[in-house]
Amino acid sequence: MSGALAMPEAVELASEILDGVALSVHGRGQRLLIELEADDLPEAARLIRDDPRIDGRYLVMVAGLDGGGSLEAAYLLRSLDHPLVVEMRVELDRESPVVPTVTHLWQGANWHEREAYDMFGIIFDGHPDLRRLLNREDLDSFPLRKDARPRRKVRPEWRWDGLEPPRRLPDEPPRSERS
Amino acid sequence: MSTPPRADVPVPEGGQDLNLEEVMLNMGPQHPSTHGVLRLVLRLDGELVLSVDPVIGYLHRGFEKLGENRTYLQLLAMLSRLDYLSGIFMEWAYVRAVEDLMEIEVPRRAEYLRVIMAELNRIISHHVAIGDFLLNLGSWTPFFWTFRDREIIMDLLEMATGQRMMYNYLRVGGVRYDLPDGFEQGCRDFISYFPPKIDEYERLITGNEIFLSRTLGMGIIEPPQALSQGLSGPNLRACGVKWDLRRVEDYSVYGEFDFEVPVGQWGDAFDRYRCRIEEMRQSLKIIEQALDGLPGGPFSVKLPPMLRPPAGNSYQAVESPRGEFGAYVVSRGGLRPWRVKLRDPSFVAISMLPQILPGHKIADLIAIAGSLDVLMGGTDR
Repeated sequence: MSGALAMPEAVELASEILDGVALSVHGRGQRLLIELEADDLPEAARLIRDDPRIDGRYLVMVAGLDGGGSLEAAYLLRSLDHPLVVEMRVELDRESPVVPTVTHLWQGANWHEREAYDMFGIIFDGHPDLRRLLNREDLDSFPLRKDARPRRKVRPEWRWDGLEPPRRLPDEPPRSERS
Repeated sequence: MSTPPRADVPVPEGGQDLNLEEVMLNMGPQHPSTHGVLRLVLRLDGELVLSVDPVIGYLHRGFEKLGENRTYLQLLAMLSRLDYLSGIFMEWAYVRAVEDLMEIEVPRRAEYLRVIMAELNRIISHHVAIGDFLLNLGSWTPFFWTFRDREIIMDLLEMATGQRMMYNYLRVGGVRYDLPDGFEQGCRDFISYFPPKIDEYERLITGNEIFLSRTLGMGIIEPPQALSQGLSGPNLRACGVKWDLRRVEDYSVYGEFDFEVPVGQWGDAFDRYRCRIEEMRQSLKIIEQALDGLPGGPFSVKLPPMLRPPAGNSYQAVESPRGEFGAYVVSRGGLRPWRVKLRDPSFVAISMLPQILPGHKIADLIAIAGSLDVLMGGTDR
């Protein structure tokens, strides 16, 4: 464990790097919590990634979150050298949750963002291939939202028309006339 | 869909009628070598893979949604069904997250027991990884040999946890049972039994000419690409990146053990296989040290039957046999978690397939996908 960042310094460092970008920076245990405006996210992510001391070059995951009122997206970054995990959080409007993509910074963000879109309907602006990932393509809700209610499937009316008569070749006599 | 013959392919004399168009091929979801229900939509030019589009979700059980409707302990019972070959790790990441929220100090004996079970679990997971990988390549014997030895550990784990695969052994604040009589002796017998068997695997597989020609240089992943993608575990270490959460985070009591982190050199399918073989040896070392230093005392802390962690969120990860498995738990002070997000390493490994497979032959696709050791139970959640 070389170059471990202790907590008060890590908070100060992050506040210094993200001066004027982050809304707030907190530290808890081995984690750094940073709150951001959605539009500042790619810039802040790049700063955290490229800073040699915090060194958040590894994207752990992107987690969607339903905060009750608003939706949230949490981005977890970590270094390969010290155990600090940086969590960046953006709050999004429930009606039009749009956040710029970070796929240009990490290739791995592609599927994580697709999953967050699939489960929460968060639109990642600029994502190369925003499709559903785990759910079926024609699902009509975003299942991990707290207000998601699966719509009852409308069954087509089904009635019994009797057995279908067996198919015959054009010249074939009906079964009853066959010897 | 008919496309004109490609300009760069020379059309032989009288071959104007030859069909040179690209072919779309669905591989899976029931293909035996896709480790479950992975579907790959391939675009092929003859035998050559042009592009791959993995389609997942066939095993989606909605764990994250189910978790929101269960108490903390009820969810724990389900978690080993996620990545069903390494259930202890799923439970471990989750209980660590809940312990972090509740600020519970876990007794040392419990940590040691967790380490022993987890490392046994790592070995049997690698057994399947290696056996199945070789099975994909068309070789039957290694599969039977690894499963023969796997059975011994399964018996040991059954002794300790009551289950062969779905352990449900870890508890918030400790483990469920103390060690049963005879477990330690069985474990020590296994530790002396197994190293010659690993050598046997190596004699059978590692130098095999067919195996070498099918894996050497196949599916090479460069370290920057792997890190940008978020690859972890033996797949990442095979690229030469020495990153192991057990060493970086020193979580639980791993800091007290002496073991090495094997790394590869080229990041090809062969290196990934070698890393797993080496990790089995290192796991044995850890188990032996843990048994030697096993402290006494309680194996669990006393907690109320209904857990109610304070509001907050926590992310804790463990080094599972496939890489970083993490649990992100958000609590709002209720009896049920507000949100549980599970980070699975297989998910990341599969998302990498579109980048490493194009340019290879379709037969090598099987070798490369098999060497990544993906498991759909964890990917689809």
